[in-house]
Amino acid sequence: MSIVPKETIEVIAQSIGIASLSSDVALALAPDVEYRLREIMQEAIKCMRHSKRTVLTADDVDSALNLRNVEPIYGFATGDQLRFKRAVGHKDLFYIDDKDVDFKDVIEAPLPKAPLDTAVVAHWLAIEGVQPAIPENATVDVLPVPSESKKLEHGKDDGLAVDIRLPVKHVLSRELQLYFDKITEVTISKSKSVIFKEALASLATDSGLHPLVPYFCYFIADEVSRSLNDLPTLFSLMRVVQSLLRNPHIHIEPYLHQLMPSMITCIVAKRLGNKLVDNHWELRDFSANLVASVCRRYGHVYHNLQSRLTKTLLHAFIDPSKALTQHYGAIQGLAALGPNVVRLLILPNLETYLQLLEPELLLEKQKNEIKRSEAWRVYGALMCAAGRCLYDQLKMFHDLLPPPNQPVFKHNGKVITVKSDNKRKSPANQSNSTQQMPLKKVAVDGSVGSMSNMSTAPKLQSATDGLGNNQSGEPGLRTSTSSGRLSNESIPGGSRKEMGISRAPKAHTVLSQAWKEDLDAGHLLASLFELFGEGIFSFMQPPELNVFL
Amino acid sequence: MEDEEIEKTVFAYLKKKGFWQTERTLQNEQSRASSASQSEGGISRPEKGPQQHHDGYSKLRSWAYGSLDLYKHELLRVLYPVFIHCFMDLVAEGYMQEARTFFQTFREDHEMLHLRDLQKLEGILCPSHLEEMELARSLRQSKVVIKLCEYSCNLLLQYLQKTQSFSMLGVINEHINFEVSSGQPVSISDDSDVVALVGNNQDMAKQINQKEVRWGLLEDSIEERLEKTLSDSEKVEGENKEIDLDDIKKRSADGGRQGSSSKKLKKDKVVGTVGKCARSETSIISLAPRVKAELALPTMPTEVEQSILEDLRNRVQLSSLALPSVSFYTFINTHNGLNCASISHDGSLVAGGFSDSSLKIWNMSKLGQPAKAGSMQGENEYPHNETFIGHDEGKRSYTLFQGHSGPVYSSSFSPTGDFLLSSSSDSTIRLWSTKLNSNLVCYKGHNYPVWDVQFGPFGHYFVSASHDRTARIWSMDRIQPLRIMAGHLSDVDCVQWHANCNYIATGSSDKTVRLWDVQSGESVRIFIGHRSMVMSLAMSPDGRYMASGDEDGMIMMWDLSTGRCVSPLIGHNSCVWTLAFSCEGTLLASGSADCTVKLWDVTSSNKASKMDENKGSSGSKLRLLKALPTKSTPVYTLRFSRRNLLFAAGALSKSC
Repeated sequence: MSIVPKETIEVIAQSIGIASLSSDVALALAPDVEYRLREIMQEAIKCMRHSKRTVLTADDVDSALNLRNVEPIYGFATGDQLRFKRAVGHKDLFYIDDKDVDFKDVIEAPLPKAPLDTAVVAHWLAIEGVQPAIPENATVDVLPVPSESKKLEHGKDDGLAVDIRLPVKHVLSRELQLYFDKITEVTISKSKSVIFKEALASLATDSGLHPLVPYFCYFIADEVSRSLNDLPTLFSLMRVVQSLLRNPHIHIEPYLHQLMPSMITCIVAKRLGNKLVDNHWELRDFSANLVASVCRRYGHVYHNLQSRLTKTLLHAFIDPSKALTQHYGAIQGLAALGPNVVRLLILPNLETYLQLLEPELLLEKQKNEIKRSEAWRVYGALMCAAGRCLYDQLKMFHDLLPPPNQPVFKHNGKVITVKSDNKRKSPANQSNSTQQMPLKKVAVDGSVGSMSNMSTAPKLQSATDGLGNNQSGEPGLRTSTSSGRLSNESIPGGSRKEMGISRAPKAHTVLSQAWKEDLDAGHLLASLFELFGEGIFSFMQPPELNVFL
Repeated sequence: MEDEEIEKTVFAYLKKKGFWQTERTLQNEQSRASSASQSEGGISRPEKGPQQHHDGYSKLRSWAYGSLDLYKHELLRVLYPVFIHCFMDLVAEGYMQEARTFFQTFREDHEMLHLRDLQKLEGILCPSHLEEMELARSLRQSKVVIKLCEYSCNLLLQYLQKTQSFSMLGVINEHINFEVSSGQPVSISDDSDVVALVGNNQDMAKQINQKEVRWGLLEDSIEERLEKTLSDSEKVEGENKEIDLDDIKKRSADGGRQGSSSKKLKKDKVVGTVGKCARSETSIISLAPRVKAELALPTMPTEVEQSILEDLRNRVQLSSLALPSVSFYTFINTHNGLNCASISHDGSLVAGGFSDSSLKIWNMSKLGQPAKAGSMQGENEYPHNETFIGHDEGKRSYTLFQGHSGPVYSSSFSPTGDFLLSSSSDSTIRLWSTKLNSNLVCYKGHNYPVWDVQFGPFGHYFVSASHDRTARIWSMDRIQPLRIMAGHLSDVDCVQWHANCNYIATGSSDKTVRLWDVQSGESVRIFIGHRSMVMSLAMSPDGRYMASGDEDGMIMMWDLSTGRCVSPLIGHNSCVWTLAFSCEGTLLASGSADCTVKLWDVTSSNKASKMDENKGSSGSKLRLLKALPTKSTPVYTLRFSRRNLLFAAGALSKSC
């Protein structure tokens, strides 16, 4: 009935020498014991309050006992907590663990340190209602809400809704400064080391980096403009950008306008790195993909982001005075934005552009070997872009290429493995279709012939370039960022035949039906065929091709 | 008795006459009658039993909760008194077990409003406790008054009659007085009466609150004189400024104030000039009516008066837009032993009372200076065996006052700072001189720990509050109290003087605040509304309002003339240790165990209350102007200097 069970009363009775306490007496005593306990606690709480404390101590209970004229209990110093132990064999019987203390130990123990004497120190808690930021005061962050609400209130009261924004002075912690210094150093000087990879991973995942974003943006913009001749640096800078974009904890939107120029520079700059040695094509491709991913992610936030980007790229593309490298970058940039952009912006200009490009491609007309190879690059990029656009068109027909993605993904590894044989095959194709192509050139360039299969080309080259780290990073990257692209890329390669063979009989009739309906696609194919010759066919399957032809 | 005698004589008569048959039948009849009455008792007994209370209450409860929304809150008010009285009835009848289960079943409903009382009542376990416990006894003896509108009263009575729940009807009849008002039910917010239905004879409270309180300020007060002199001296403003400058020089020369206090001085000066500009709008104080002092007040030495006048001239005008500067005195290394702190009117002296019976005084104007042992030693020659001046070790930064034999619970500086009073759990009050650094008088009168002591606004008189449920008024020159204020039902925890010295206010553990007439010693107001022990009190300088803070962190503003709550201030979430009004009464500062100093706009509430009187709508909330968090330092005391600089003190506690 009462909180104090009668067993407790019996135990207490035994402990003070009353052996046989009848259970009736115990039962009657129990409620009274509880009442007295409550009474004492009530007084103890009063004592606690008057000692201006919020925690009850043994002293308070002592004072309460004093108040009730009860003899205080000794032996309960407030110093340490009481340790209760459970009695063996009883479920709910506890006793205080009273340790035996050796008298000798107590005597021989060194004197404890004298406690510090009480002192009073003064400080300003507030000066005319404003708390000064001094160490004696609590940090203001503890209670940010009331101040805000107060501000609002004030605004309402005064009828002034002026939002005065003070210049924000933000302080970078020492750790962040060190981090920034380290990252920038690694980016500039040790871009091939393992540490750089770790740094990129850290940039892509760490949560506390937001304060550094403006600094990184500035750093990237600065370094890109400074080291246009240093391809590895540019590449590592772009990787830093990529990592920053990937970091889910960073709110990067406000800084995009600072990052975009650097990225576009890496796409359409006239010269990137040392032309002869460095594979700037790869950087252009990489940056193009990066920009495209930015557009995809933030296009809805900045509605004019993509339009401004395409405008810039288109200018670079249709300006004949620009270098071929710039053209290449522009084409890749536009292509990365998706087939629709290609159809709208590249295809209308394709015919005129190819006319311009043609003299550059020919051995007879363009003696400069480098220029010629560049031209071939551009040609390849154009064809690839057009082809992908075409593929996309074809894909629009339901059931036309029903499961292309899955097999392609599966064959992703295979694509790479079949490269060598592909390489052999492609030049053959090329030489068939474009008979002007000199065999010698194929031999020189190694992979120019495979322009129709541009994805393999950079990979091969990167391998030869010795950018080993890139090699390992790239396939994975591509899989994750642009699946559509992957499927496109790989179709011309290894999967062409398999797909054709496996699906040809079924799709045959459907295709013919669909294609007849879609004149656009047909026209597109026709025009592309006109322009690129048979090279464009590598973007579709032979059976369909047959049907069409 | 008579019946029995008659019966006996009848039997005797029948026996004598030999009518044995008649005798037997009569006997039979009698036994039948008695058994019938017994069986009657047997039937009625269980009906009155515990189960009926339980069922009756639970039915009433579900009915009240299911009643019309408009009348629901009124009907719900009835539940709490019914609940506690059912419980106490059960206890009184000896059904402990049933009482316990009954209590536990319905406890939750009332926890929000009456938690503290429930905690107390929970302990009642046998009929004798009912007698012993103050709260229970007063509850049993007095009747609760509940305001109901006509319709809800009808509803309730109809319900009780229809359901034949006579036990509930009995409880209600016995312990509740309905105050039926015609028309619409009162609004929910006006439930201060409900909260306070506990333990007080409300009629008495009401009667007491009818008495007149002349809350006006004293005639010929120093402020008034200042106003006069100011209007005179408006022309010679320039001269005044020169005096100011002279004064600064003088002070810095002889006082040698360093550190914070010199800063403070400058501050005071700087804002002082601002204040002077704003002086043109007359302060509220001048609007207050004037009354005569009922006590013979001490005359003020002219130099003290001069310095006060000086301070008043340099007072900063505070308002919701001009918040005060706060200087915080932090006690460090107190080892949880600091019980109270107090600050002198000019902020230069800080006293701390400790649980080791000692009282320590720091002179803040000399803080940071090496102790001038020599000069102090000279003063040490005043022989007093109870006093130990802290310079025998040469290094102590404070003056140690020893004399009490129990924890020191309160201390108070006289207005001039010459004297210090301290109260202790040894049930004595001691008067100390800060000039002589010695104990002057020990006042013995209370029988239990003295929780609080306060000097009057003009010195000489002081008032103490004790665990013995009394407050006593003393004068410095007598060792016997002049008045004993008895009436609180529990400890008197805090006291405060009214600005005009004619009244004192006391806050108690019985959750009420009372206002007492100093001359007659009678209670003239009872303020009911707090839900827990009242910890702190403050009187507005214009004498019209009073603020009280309680254990739960609630602060209430009271209008002394009406005895009603103007508005509750909700914001603190732990004990409000201290309250202080700014000198012109525009701001209220509160210090709490939740480690914040909060500043409240009081003028808005006054306006609101005036509007209230017109509109009759529920009171608006007072505005919280600013919360100043400290660094884990509960605020023990607050004091506005005469120049409106706010001083605060507290002990740094690591566990906070």
